[in-house]
Amino acid sequence: MRKGSLFGVCVLVVIMAFSLTGRAQAETIKIGINAELTGDIPKVGEGTKFAAQMWLEDVKAAGGITVGKKKYPVELVLEDNESKAESAVKVATKMITEDGVLVMVGPQASKQAVPAGGIANNYKTPMITAWSTNPDTTKDRPYVFRACFLDPFQGPVLANFITSEFKFTKAAVLYDVASDYPKGLAEFFKQAWEKLHGKGSVVAYESFTTKDTDFSSQLTKIINSGAQVLFTPQYYNEVALIVQQAHQLGWKKPIVGSDSWGSAELVNLCGKDCYGDFFSTHYAAAGAKGATKAFIDRYKAKYGYVPDDVAALTWDSMNLAQTAIQNTGGLTGDLKKDREKVRTAMSQIKKFNGITGEMTFSGSGDPSKCAVIVKISDKGEFAFYKSVCP
Amino acid sequence: MASTTTFRTFRAGWSRVPLIGWFFGALLAVTLERLVGNPLALAVGLPKIPALFGLDIMLKKPLLIPNAVLYVLLIYGLPMGIATRASIAPANRLATGLFRLPIVVTTVVYIGFLYAILHVWAEVNDYRALVLKLTLIAIMFTLSLNVINGYMGEFSCSHPGFMALGAYCASVFSLGLFVDNRFFGTALLPPALGPFLFPVALVLGGILAAAGALIVAVPSFRTRGDYLAIISLAFLFIVKSLIENLEYVRGPRGLSGQPDLASLPTVFLWTVACIWSINNFVRSTIGKALNAVRDNEMAASAMTVNTRRTKMVAFLFSAFWAGIAGGLFAHVLRYVNPGTFGIQTLAEVLAMVYFGGLNSVYGSIVGAVSISLLGEALRPLEIFKWIIIPLLLILVMIYRPTGLIAFKDVDVTALFRPKTGPGDEV
Repeated sequence: MRKGSLFGVCVLVVIMAFSLTGRAQAETIKIGINAELTGDIPKVGEGTKFAAQMWLEDVKAAGGITVGKKKYPVELVLEDNESKAESAVKVATKMITEDGVLVMVGPQASKQAVPAGGIANNYKTPMITAWSTNPDTTKDRPYVFRACFLDPFQGPVLANFITSEFKFTKAAVLYDVASDYPKGLAEFFKQAWEKLHGKGSVVAYESFTTKDTDFSSQLTKIINSGAQVLFTPQYYNEVALIVQQAHQLGWKKPIVGSDSWGSAELVNLCGKDCYGDFFSTHYAAAGAKGATKAFIDRYKAKYGYVPDDVAALTWDSMNLAQTAIQNTGGLTGDLKKDREKVRTAMSQIKKFNGITGEMTFSGSGDPSKCAVIVKISDKGEFAFYKSVCP
Repeated sequence: MASTTTFRTFRAGWSRVPLIGWFFGALLAVTLERLVGNPLALAVGLPKIPALFGLDIMLKKPLLIPNAVLYVLLIYGLPMGIATRASIAPANRLATGLFRLPIVVTTVVYIGFLYAILHVWAEVNDYRALVLKLTLIAIMFTLSLNVINGYMGEFSCSHPGFMALGAYCASVFSLGLFVDNRFFGTALLPPALGPFLFPVALVLGGILAAAGALIVAVPSFRTRGDYLAIISLAFLFIVKSLIENLEYVRGPRGLSGQPDLASLPTVFLWTVACIWSINNFVRSTIGKALNAVRDNEMAASAMTVNTRRTKMVAFLFSAFWAGIAGGLFAHVLRYVNPGTFGIQTLAEVLAMVYFGGLNSVYGSIVGAVSISLLGEALRPLEIFKWIIIPLLLILVMIYRPTGLIAFKDVDVTALFRPKTGPGDEV
């Protein structure tokens, strides 16, 4: 009996001790980062993480975000979604229901962003994906936004650019049939090209499967088809192989790509073979000016490499979130109401001056913004060539 | 020495708690958490109720570990410990009463109890509910693979493929019938019918998966050894490429917007059905024949076991449940894409099977639950998570080569039996 009461007293003392240390809860704004830190595309997650942390530094230096007349401290809730749809859904649910984030940034790749967007929309929490270009991510989801342009815009941009720049009429396409982004973009490009030059103007439409490394049979067909330009909307690691093999097989005409080319790794892998080629993207690192240059220099100094488009887009997403929070004019402290307010503010952002260009949201979750055509210079830099606006 | 004996007598106090007593204790604990969890969490210095027994905040805020441990002790440990110990006599009386009823009734009562516990536990927040649903699906999937890799002693790599077939079949069915969408046109039936026809969707998915299994089984069962592993791995890639190239189901982009039909009770009931049927299967004559085929196919054949038929039935049966798990998976996430069902999923489910224990129903449950919870708990470690989990697996393989709990099926009568020893007051 004595032992029992002694135990009881101990428990009580411990509880008291803990409750004394209980902190006075300050109202903080929590922003969730749902990133691909492990899995297939860890570089994407890393860029997201670094850009978000840089943003947090700035906010901390300013003492928090000022909304209305009050300053709120900010906390990032960073979680790894392992590049898996199911984990992205778990992480999104956890952030929204457990951690109570006001806004969620990410996931970046569409296969994570589409299901996670469904969760964000169900819980009425604003979500911004920096990088996902699949139309499904934001379609019929008033709470989901993105910071990049869509493939149905990028395809025609490239078709128009090639037509006006080189006056070509015959194009070839080489794409990965098993990956959602290249496949979608290849289709949009084909549509746009055939609209300009008539049916059959895409003389070769060749595909391969993810992780293939030998493209000689497809490239031989493309070379024999008499195409004047090759369009390949692939990721940087595949681009290096495709371009090098094409040159070995005797292809001397231009090769054009899409925003997936825009990684610092591309030139390292591809070398001189890629010099002189063009691709469309969100921003050009070489020759950047103003805020874009400041961001690139700071990122490079801090992490040792030139940020790729995911980092830049994440930076813009974070600032979009901040702008939307500030535009609400004041938070109530009730998370549900605040999320609604942020969503409304976000959908009304006009002429947001991001480092990847000016963005305007008009009703839907997709911004209207310009694409940049980049030429890979003789020094291997991504140099600004032309800007194409909708 | 003295401390071990005290510990032993301490533990012995609970040795006569019947299952129903534990259920009562657990129900009490989760109800208590629901009622006073939040104030208690605040009192011990936690921001809110820890979602997964504190596992989820453990690595993010290591300073809160003692608080989380204290919380778990106060809300689960103490009430459960006291309630179960105090109620030994009435619980055993109740267990005896239930034991005399027909086994079906008893089982239903116990399952109802279990569901009540899980329901109250999961209602505290949606993250718990989601993790619970995915864990239950992982249990089904692991169990279905254990039938082949454990009971049959072959090595199947095609289970994610069967899961994909089930997921796509069920998704196409439910999307086509109940949702207006741009791939399949307008909804053919009112969405109110959804919950009633959902089992049909799942069963169709299971049947499609079983049909897929037939394609693997016919060529590979003519031989023994590694051939099944190779052919089934090929099958996994075939299924993945097939779906990627099928524009009808939107290829690599995947299907999204499935109706929200996989609620917790639905997933729970299907899991119970899966455990029940697989447990009965492996304890039946055909299950024993399966073990005989594994140990020595020629001897089994000499003993009049129709080895080919046995293997075929087991393989199709296992694929059927993998398909059902896939259908549920697609409806919990409300999104499905072919990329999900690749080598990584295969590695995960194999880890669950071998971690938990081969040839074991309990083992599959333990493996699926522990790997799922570990995955959640270690998430903040990012890349190191993928070092720690395989390392654990290696340690298990070294010290318990057949897994944590191998060779153990569920014996319900032993489970439900009241624990009245000699000299008991009952």
